[in-house]
Amino acid sequence: MAEIKAVEVSQKKKSRLNNTATLFIILVAMFGIFSYVGRPFFFSRLNIIPMLNNLSFIGIIAAVLTMVMVSGEIDFSVGGNVGLTACLVALLLDKGLPGWLVVIIALAGGLVMGAFNGMLVTVIGVNSIMATIGTMFIWRGIGYTLSNGESMLAINPVIDFIGRGFIFKVIPFPIVLLVLIFVLTYVIMSHSKWGRRVYAIGANPLASYLSGINVKKVKFIGFLLCGMTAALGGLILTSLSAVGMPQHGQGLELVIVSSIILGGTALGGGKGQILGTLAGVLILSILYNFLTIMNVYYFYIQIVQGSVLILVVSTYEIRQAMARRRT
Amino acid sequence: MASSIYYKGGDILSDNNGVVLRMENITKTFPGVVALDNVSIDLNKGEVLGILGENGAGKSTLIKILAGNYIKDSGNIFVDGHKFEIKGPAEAVASGIRVIYQELNTINNLTVAENIFIGEQIVKGPFKVVDWKTMTKRSFELLDILNVKLDPNAILGDLTVSEKQIVEIAKAISKEAKILVMDEPTAALSEEETQSLFKIIRTLKSKGVSVIYISHRLKEIFEITDRVTVLRDGKKVGSIKTVDTDENKLVEMMVGRDIKDMYPKREVKIGDVVMEVKNLKADGFNDISFKLRKGEILGIFGLLGSGRTSLVKALFGANRIKAGEISVNSKKVNLKSPGIAKDEKIGLVPLDRKTEGLALMMGVKENITLANIGDLGKSFLISKVQERKKAGKWVEEIGIRTPGVDQEVNSLSGGNQQKVVLAKWLESGSQIIILNEPTRGIDVGAKIEIYKLMQDLCERGSSIIMISSELLEIMSIADRIIVMSKGRFTDEYARKEASEEKLLHSACL
Repeated sequence: MAEIKAVEVSQKKKSRLNNTATLFIILVAMFGIFSYVGRPFFFSRLNIIPMLNNLSFIGIIAAVLTMVMVSGEIDFSVGGNVGLTACLVALLLDKGLPGWLVVIIALAGGLVMGAFNGMLVTVIGVNSIMATIGTMFIWRGIGYTLSNGESMLAINPVIDFIGRGFIFKVIPFPIVLLVLIFVLTYVIMSHSKWGRRVYAIGANPLASYLSGINVKKVKFIGFLLCGMTAALGGLILTSLSAVGMPQHGQGLELVIVSSIILGGTALGGGKGQILGTLAGVLILSILYNFLTIMNVYYFYIQIVQGSVLILVVSTYEIRQAMARRRT
Repeated sequence: MASSIYYKGGDILSDNNGVVLRMENITKTFPGVVALDNVSIDLNKGEVLGILGENGAGKSTLIKILAGNYIKDSGNIFVDGHKFEIKGPAEAVASGIRVIYQELNTINNLTVAENIFIGEQIVKGPFKVVDWKTMTKRSFELLDILNVKLDPNAILGDLTVSEKQIVEIAKAISKEAKILVMDEPTAALSEEETQSLFKIIRTLKSKGVSVIYISHRLKEIFEITDRVTVLRDGKKVGSIKTVDTDENKLVEMMVGRDIKDMYPKREVKIGDVVMEVKNLKADGFNDISFKLRKGEILGIFGLLGSGRTSLVKALFGANRIKAGEISVNSKKVNLKSPGIAKDEKIGLVPLDRKTEGLALMMGVKENITLANIGDLGKSFLISKVQERKKAGKWVEEIGIRTPGVDQEVNSLSGGNQQKVVLAKWLESGSQIIILNEPTRGIDVGAKIEIYKLMQDLCERGSSIIMISSELLEIMSIADRIIVMSKGRFTDEYARKEASEEKLLHSACL
């Protein structure tokens, strides 16, 4: 009996490894096919660098949102946060504030937005789907108000560097940020005490609470970090486009959540891997980039984006049901 | 008659007036546990069959298979002699099987009549308008069959638990009911209410309804059943006519050994007061005071809804205290959260280990260290070496049977899961351990291990508060028993003076 169980475990481990590995194999295959079909432009510096830049802020936000989702909550307001941050940055630069101060204010703004979400969810007890759909509109609405609905130039040496600077003259700065945040979140989730608490809360919030874990605090900090990272994403996007406008980050939450679920994070929390999220982000970003450069009309891409989300969640549910049937 | 075909080779104790239900060689396994192993039962027309067994014997699983909530792995079910595949609850209902669960399925903001006819309201006219008049009239008739006076237009929320149960019974017989299953129907009832329930059961019996009555209260088994089938650890021990047996015989069948071996009680030296509770009040109970001494096992007994679970939650910081005070080691403490209780060296093994005690999808080691993640290494990182060492130590010391510390706890048996929860508090160094129904849903062997473990802890200077609804268990293991009823303290007994009658009487005061 014991032996049988041991075998089951090793099989389970293997299949989990395979999940992330499979995603990376799909990724490589996609990349190969797209490079061939979309030759010569797809695999050229002119396409790859902007694609990576674009993917950088999506990935950064996705990594931290993965932590929130593993804890069993969700944050749909990240796109609105990006829009509001973009407008705030442009407005403050316009007022003549120095670049470094604008960066600090923008990140602090992100913290405030995160704290607001966290408070709604942990103090008042609002369902995080509802709370953050609400704040998604609020953030973007404030963005529209600040900017009067117009695009504002956002040019400043510090801001320019965030999105368009290079380290050692070759590595784009957003990519450095992306790698940094992924390494950090990976270490936190897979090796730190904090990460263990996040997984435990997602796996069983009541048992975690009854084991003395401060569930609300852990969740609150998750939202806080998510708000700040979304603001960082807003800074990158503003810098990349050199303008701040309230439409920045529109629909971003859809892409990010799709990537995370594709990466294997459980909708109810408790399960999820940072590396899986990375694979999910790369796959979807490359797919949308490919569709764009193949001149697929933007309206169609929206249909694809929605379908991908549904497809990913359906696959997840079907696999859950199959796993349940097995036991 | 058709049923006689299947009567051949059946249970020799069955009476010859027709087998209504026959469950044959039923087997059901869950991950890590065989819940039912080749169990067969017969039920005759107009018979009350008691199914007796300790927690975890397989009673509920058997009933859930009959009700269509679980699908059996193998075996056959015959209703009225016809082989019958139950694929879901609808099929079970269609063949006249009605189950009344311990947790009642009534809806509080609807009336009695609405509850009785829920899902199949009587309608009239081409637009299928609800026919209130007929529904009320039919409700009257049904309640009349049961010989009870209840207003069909009363709102259910205003009724007592036993009245709600009567509504469930009325609902069950509103369509043709051949077999009525009652799962621990008296768990929340007073002595008097139990008697009126028995009256109803006798009425139904006289009308030819067969009843399966599940309980672990022996007194009731003798009072109401015609025959008893005893289960133990998922196996059928035997069936016996109630008149042909006595309490001792049944207990022996239930536990499979002498009572002394089942409840190994050691005398532990009892020391100073470690916890004092004074006039404590919170949601669910009022004005509770007691003292807990070093090395002592304090039992808390009460019926469902007596406030026992609310009390232990308050003692663990999970139920906000409204008045009164708690002292630990003569120092007043303010238990605002489980985290604070944990720091005061209090641990809670909760009522439902799957939803409250364990992160089922995580491993044994993650669960054992769940309350002490902060102690896994000096930095902010988890020392996986330390984690394995700590978990491994407890697996070894209290004998958790698992292929390894990485094993998902979901696949462990109930007894081993319970040990994992206990290990969590041992790792935490808890001196006061509160166990809410510690042996719920675990097999007899594991129960004895848990009892031994509890006493080992006491010998090492810990103190234990144990809630249990199993009379034998609490009377044998606890040094002292406090009885609660309706959120109040009613009586206190030393182990030697407690008896089933006294405890039940105090629990209904």
